[in-house]
Amino acid sequence: MSAVLEVQNLRKTYGDIKAVSDVSFVVEQGEIFGMLGPNGAGKTTTMEIVEGLRIADSGNVRVLGMDIKQRPRRIKASIGVQLQTTSLYPRLTVREVLDLFGSFFPRAVPSGELIKLVGLEDSSNKFCKNLSGGQQQRLSVALALVNDPQILFFDEPTAGLDPQARHNIWDVIRLAKEKGKTVFLTTHYMEEAERLCDRVAIIDHGEIIATDSPEKLIEQYFKEEAIEFQLDRPLAGEVLRQLAGATNVVTENGKVTVYSNAVPATISALMEMARQMGMKLTDLYVRRATLEDVFLKLTGRRIRD
Amino acid sequence: MKVLSNLLIANIKQFVRERAALFWSFAFPLIFILMFGAVFSGTDDISFSVGLVMEDDSPSAQTLSTVLGQVTAFELSTGEKDSELQALNDGDRGAVIVVPADFGETISQGGKGNIDVYYDPAKSSSQQALLPIIRQVLNEFDRIVGQAPSLVQLNEKTLQTRDMRAIDYLVPGILAMAMMQLGLFAAELLVMDRENRVLKRLGATPLRRSTLIGSAVIFRLIIALGQAALIIIVARLVFDVPMMGNWLFLAGMVILGTLTFLSLGYMISAFVRTQEAVMPLIMAIQFPMMFLSGIFFPIEFMPGFMRPIVEAMPLTYLGDSLRQIMVDAAPLHDHWVNVGVLGGWFVVSLVVAVRFFKWE
Repeated sequence: MSAVLEVQNLRKTYGDIKAVSDVSFVVEQGEIFGMLGPNGAGKTTTMEIVEGLRIADSGNVRVLGMDIKQRPRRIKASIGVQLQTTSLYPRLTVREVLDLFGSFFPRAVPSGELIKLVGLEDSSNKFCKNLSGGQQQRLSVALALVNDPQILFFDEPTAGLDPQARHNIWDVIRLAKEKGKTVFLTTHYMEEAERLCDRVAIIDHGEIIATDSPEKLIEQYFKEEAIEFQLDRPLAGEVLRQLAGATNVVTENGKVTVYSNAVPATISALMEMARQMGMKLTDLYVRRATLEDVFLKLTGRRIRD
Repeated sequence: MKVLSNLLIANIKQFVRERAALFWSFAFPLIFILMFGAVFSGTDDISFSVGLVMEDDSPSAQTLSTVLGQVTAFELSTGEKDSELQALNDGDRGAVIVVPADFGETISQGGKGNIDVYYDPAKSSSQQALLPIIRQVLNEFDRIVGQAPSLVQLNEKTLQTRDMRAIDYLVPGILAMAMMQLGLFAAELLVMDRENRVLKRLGATPLRRSTLIGSAVIFRLIIALGQAALIIIVARLVFDVPMMGNWLFLAGMVILGTLTFLSLGYMISAFVRTQEAVMPLIMAIQFPMMFLSGIFFPIEFMPGFMRPIVEAMPLTYLGDSLRQIMVDAAPLHDHWVNVGVLGGWFVVSLVVAVRFFKWE
């Protein structure tokens, strides 16, 4: 595998705010690489620097072996950028917009092929403004594919979409991977990062705090599973931490998460405690640890804060 | 070139498919012309309704009545004093002239005949136009009755080959206004495209910014020339407003005017971030220009202290040039002064726009 995207010591500040501070990572040919973090973590800024839309204060970016500062137009011709814009030529049809965008590039995929690929056959002669949210999202994916790019950039590709539309976009991204393309995406959805990405970089306050495959990240930070439940009264975390097998406790809005490396023992101890104290326990369930838990452990916050 | 023409075609398709844009660009100026044309068309043949009360039927009184009847500006109606004064009160008469019973007798005895003129001082037209005419009529009457020869004959000659009507003055002004709006409103679209990340999306392609802006400018120039043609044709067909000058010169001024206001629009969009903020700013710039730059009425009508403001506005110069070319109006400035001032505005606002515009 070879690197198609190399980012070294990237920095960008806006006034006093450090949007990106010392970010480095490598994206390998053919993988789906995700940047996971809360809003304002610096994901979009990083991505837009790599796409040549913003200039970094310092650091190096090489895309397909070319320096972004020296060959921005050449790089833009070989990458595909997906950006959610509903008002891009509202009164052109889907086909017309795809043809127009295709003409910006040295070579372009025929619009009919793209329309089929993203499943917009029935709407190809509709004005863009009359598309539903999901259809607009699919059009933005088609636009990203218009130049048959080697690397695809998706900035929050499924933000605000219903589950059905989200799965459609995931299918398109997986299809792009099958066709040998490299995908770089940002997201603040744990599930998206876990299910879609080969590797994930967790970013917070402009810094990458961990990079690896979702499985390895979870394995590395969590040997435990999570027991979640609701309590009918507040209870100090220290009390719960003394349960057999419990390693950590997080309480949030009455929802308690007890991390445990011995789930059956922890649950029976918990039940016993609830019975003795006369507490009511609801919505109890056990799940394996997720990237959300990794993020929580690394930053002390939930990602959607 | 191919990309530029593709963008241009996309712009035109978008434009013709949006009825609101079509309306504001083409129907709005025409409605303006038709509206003002209808308002001003009545003032071409000024006539006043004048009541005449004859309480005397002497030969002198008859002569006076005849002379009054010859005044084309008067629509004379004869009646009783009471009913005529009531009509004046109701606003149906501009003035009422009463020839008293002793009028003829006084004159034949060598005395001075008195007539009474009633008018409403609240009506400025009565004082400004009616009374001088009546005085004129009485002088004429004096001359006829006294059998004095008239020493001076007034031959009316105007400087222009053709009378300048209000509508003639107005149409080039509306043309200038349309150019101004076309240019300034470009700011709204640009701010919108930036806010909605359209500029960002286009920036992620190899498309050159110069191509993008170039196609937008050419698109607006096409619209401007279309607007000019339509306005001139409609004004000609409906109100017989002439196009006297050189068509190429006119097209050149339309292009220069549009470029100037486009740069002004782009300058605005360099300093405003949001759609909510851009419209009020455009209005704040266009309304004073519309009413103070003499496109609707001559700037001589404006108080002197306003003149420096008027002279600073680019619309003043565009309106002046278009008026000179189209209807051969008396120039405010020489053409080259107008071209120079517009060109100056164009260059300065373009430099400021390029310096301060942000693509995101």
